[in-house]
Amino acid sequence: MARLEAIRARIAALEAGTRTPSQVLPFGHEAIDRCLAGGGLPLGRWHELTGEGMELETGAVTAGFAALMARPLAARGSVVWVMRRDDLYAPGLAFLGFPAERLIQVCARDQAEALAVLEDALATAGVAAVIGEVEPVDLTAGRRLQLACEKRGSTGLIIHRRPYGGGSRSARAPSGSAAATRWKITSAPAAPDGQWGIGAARWTVELERSRGGRPGAWLLEEWKDDAPHPLRMVTDLADRDLATEEVRAAG
Amino acid sequence: MRRLYAVDEVAAGLGLHVGQKAADATALVPELDYADADPEGDLAALAALSDWCVRYSPAVAVDAPDGLLLDIAGVSHLWGGEGPMLDDLLDRLAANGIPARGAIADTAGAAWALARYTADRTIAPPGGQRALLEPLPIGALRLDEKSAAQLPRLGLTRIARLTALPRMQLARRFGLNVLRRLDQAMGEGDEALSFRRPASPWFDRLAFAEPISQLEDFVRAAGDIAALLCKRLETEGKGARRFELTFHRLDGKAFPARVGLSIPGRDPGRLVRLLAPKLETIDPGFGVEVVTLEAQGVESLSARQQRLDAATEVAAEEGLAAMVDRLTNRLGEARVWRDIPYPSHAPERAATRLGAMETPAPAAANAPPTPPWSPDTPRPLRLFAQPEPLEVMAKLPDDPPVRFTWRGRSHKVRRAEGPERVAEEWWRKAFEDASPDRVRDYYRVEDDAGARFWIFRAGLYGDPAIPPRWWLHGLFS
Repeated sequence: MARLEAIRARIAALEAGTRTPSQVLPFGHEAIDRCLAGGGLPLGRWHELTGEGMELETGAVTAGFAALMARPLAARGSVVWVMRRDDLYAPGLAFLGFPAERLIQVCARDQAEALAVLEDALATAGVAAVIGEVEPVDLTAGRRLQLACEKRGSTGLIIHRRPYGGGSRSARAPSGSAAATRWKITSAPAAPDGQWGIGAARWTVELERSRGGRPGAWLLEEWKDDAPHPLRMVTDLADRDLATEEVRAAG
Repeated sequence: MRRLYAVDEVAAGLGLHVGQKAADATALVPELDYADADPEGDLAALAALSDWCVRYSPAVAVDAPDGLLLDIAGVSHLWGGEGPMLDDLLDRLAANGIPARGAIADTAGAAWALARYTADRTIAPPGGQRALLEPLPIGALRLDEKSAAQLPRLGLTRIARLTALPRMQLARRFGLNVLRRLDQAMGEGDEALSFRRPASPWFDRLAFAEPISQLEDFVRAAGDIAALLCKRLETEGKGARRFELTFHRLDGKAFPARVGLSIPGRDPGRLVRLLAPKLETIDPGFGVEVVTLEAQGVESLSARQQRLDAATEVAAEEGLAAMVDRLTNRLGEARVWRDIPYPSHAPERAATRLGAMETPAPAAANAPPTPPWSPDTPRPLRLFAQPEPLEVMAKLPDDPPVRFTWRGRSHKVRRAEGPERVAEEWWRKAFEDASPDRVRDYYRVEDDAGARFWIFRAGLYGDPAIPPRWWLHGLFS
């Protein structure tokens, strides 16, 4: 086990290259944090968020998840939201506990403009996080975003969203993206507690790619109270160790 | 009946005059060359000319049908005095084939009279318009038709005759209008001119001996003129929110490039960086001979400046302000904003847009403060500008539907929360259109896949005339 950890550390060092080690934002749950290089969501990098089906067009679940991820960062500086279609509803952000009144919103005309705005915002002093709703980012644009992130240490959260009306260039992201992590978020039924109301929102969250870490999948729930992180883990859906043990038992 | 609307100098020399019957005129001068009057075209040409005149002063007023009034207070020194400035203006007009006369005086009324009734290029010394005006005919006072016809009949042919009369009598016999025009010309009464833009002391110009047409020259000129104006702003401790850089071409066309700042500024380097991308679109034609820069929205900067040095936190905001400026100037003002609460129960009106760096205008003293959005009120993350119609099944009064179809896909409602009743803002509608039945009952529903929707029923069950309908207004995350 110790040897495995050592190999992992060497791989992480290789993948990080000459870059300065970045800060991380821990989820506060060991099962998630151990899948991420450095023990938390790496800051000063950019991350991809995607959904599936109608979500690729409406982008509500991914946007909510991005807002919750960026909520701890909003205390450290400004947050900029770059979009192509201005249907983000600020009272809804406030409902998620996000300081919506301070959010700077930018509506770009097309993909190229949105990427240029993202780069500009990421490289600005005083911006802690930038959330962007764009079509999948190709490798060159991704590298440019990464360079912009490294300039001031701000974090990018890039939501894959298809513009309404127009056709999508590709449903899936190009492989080999420059993002630090890649998440797939789908909505999940709320806790079957039988109480009045519909309960706290839940999501199936798949960490599909994690540089220097490993993939994972969990059922997360929104944590309304004053918690260290606005997301709480309900169950681990793909615990590797657990899975291997089961396979062994079956074999 | 066709009459002469305007005559040129040659025609006037042949005895033709304005108002003459066209038939009479052609009888007098058979080779008469005439065109139909086009007052709208004349006005458009005058407006174009006023645009061109902005190179002399930002305050240009169109004085229809045939005049332009320029406020040159504080600007003439750029030409080395009023005389050279007037000569430059009239010479350039003449070179472009536009016959014009000009005069300079303290008041718009006096300048109007001198330009039309005295030798060309008369300049009245400060406070000296009375002596120049008195020998002029009554017509020089811009009177209405009735007075202009009545006064000479009474022997009041010269302005001097009019000023010799007691003011009381003048007002009583000829009406206040005559007295007002007289005062305006003499500088004793105010006159409101509608300038195309207000006169501004924050104006500078650069003229080139040789016309420029290269992009790098444009950028350099922008830098030079920005340095000039910003130095003056700095001396007075001021900064401006908007700058307008105008390139005046040899052929008289003007190309403005505008930039706005979210925080008043006076850094020439920053201005040029914002302006530079806009200079590429300027068509140099045969070259640009004059560049003008005007600062608008000038306000004091010193207070802000002190705070800036104090803390690094504000310096970080400077970075943000600079970014907002870059984005606003590149994308347009409507595309960069912040949402702030608006006191309305209607969900679509609960947020209003504000400039990204602006602070909300202080509310009226007696108005209740706008409450912030509550983190306990369920609101969707995406709100549709137009609610989308739903097909619903199992319509039970006072209950959300069991199943609904949105965009061709059926969703089974697993759980629901509500209703939250939102009444129509009846005060925003015509009286007949408002009704207490026009309510929306909002429900938060979750389908069996976990997707959450914000749906509402418009209207109430039990009214046969308007059956209630179901709509999807937003999506939760």
